[in-house]
Amino acid sequence: MTMFNRNDKTTDTNAAAPAPPPSVKPEQPPTPAPAAPRPQAYAQPIASGQAPAVSHISKALKITGQLESTEDIQIEGEIDGDVRAVSVKVGANAKVKGTVRGDEVQVSGQVEGKIEAKKVILTRTARMSGDVIHQDITIESGAFIDGHCRPEFGKAAPPLAKPVHAPKPSSAEAAE
Amino acid sequence: MPAPFRNLSKQPPRAGEAEALPTSQLGTATTVTGVLDTEGELQVHGSVVGRINAERLVLCRHGHVEGDIVARDVRIGGRLNGRVFALNVTLDDTADVSGRIFHNTVTVARGARFEGRMPWRPPSYFEALDQLPETRP
Repeated sequence: MTMFNRNDKTTDTNAAAPAPPPSVKPEQPPTPAPAAPRPQAYAQPIASGQAPAVSHISKALKITGQLESTEDIQIEGEIDGDVRAVSVKVGANAKVKGTVRGDEVQVSGQVEGKIEAKKVILTRTARMSGDVIHQDITIESGAFIDGHCRPEFGKAAPPLAKPVHAPKPSSAEAAE
Repeated sequence: MPAPFRNLSKQPPRAGEAEALPTSQLGTATTVTGVLDTEGELQVHGSVVGRINAERLVLCRHGHVEGDIVARDVRIGGRLNGRVFALNVTLDDTADVSGRIFHNTVTVARGARFEGRMPWRPPSYFEALDQLPETRP
């Protein structure tokens, strides 16, 4: 009995809070505002109709480990590990230590390690230490590169293209 | 490993300033294995295996996290298997969580699935949280 009384009291104190959500309709989509009466309540809806497939690593984010995507990745932060995506953009203040793989890799920041991509673009703010394996490379004036640039046509393409563009290789296998 | 709550001594950002937090986004097609460490906000639409340290974390509807989350504010609308250490935790109606939620305040929306424990801790616990405790399920 006392337990229930105490429960009643706590609900009373909660009800005295500035914004009580009185109406609880089951079919009403729950809005974040009444759910979290906090100054830090998240303004944006949690699940917009189209969840973004593109990833953005902001300058405040540091990742230690592996980063993989079947879409695009834009990096402004720091990554200690390997990155693999369709299109990787390494921003001007970004730092990547590890291998960057992709169909298209554009570097404006710092990469320490290796780049393996069909199309590589080193802009004039790029600092690249390590080897670049490419089919098509652009190096703008001002880019720093310390390593070998090696074109590779046979090997670089298939392992990259397979998980990305060929979701069902059964037909190809059947043809063989 | 930096202390998870290095920002906690500062005043928490006001609603207007909170927008200025640098926001990172992991898209639906992205998988991260390892440690993610940010002083800003992190929105996870994809999949993370490992540890997340953030000021604010939003695990979106189709997101999936396998591992521990340490943040000031955590909002979960996706799947989580692991532990949460956060002052303010919100489970949305699409949340599917199994594990433990160490919290100071918690909100659970109707429809959210949660299996495990939700231990309450005073704010000082999170301030002093340098190393995550070992817990057995």
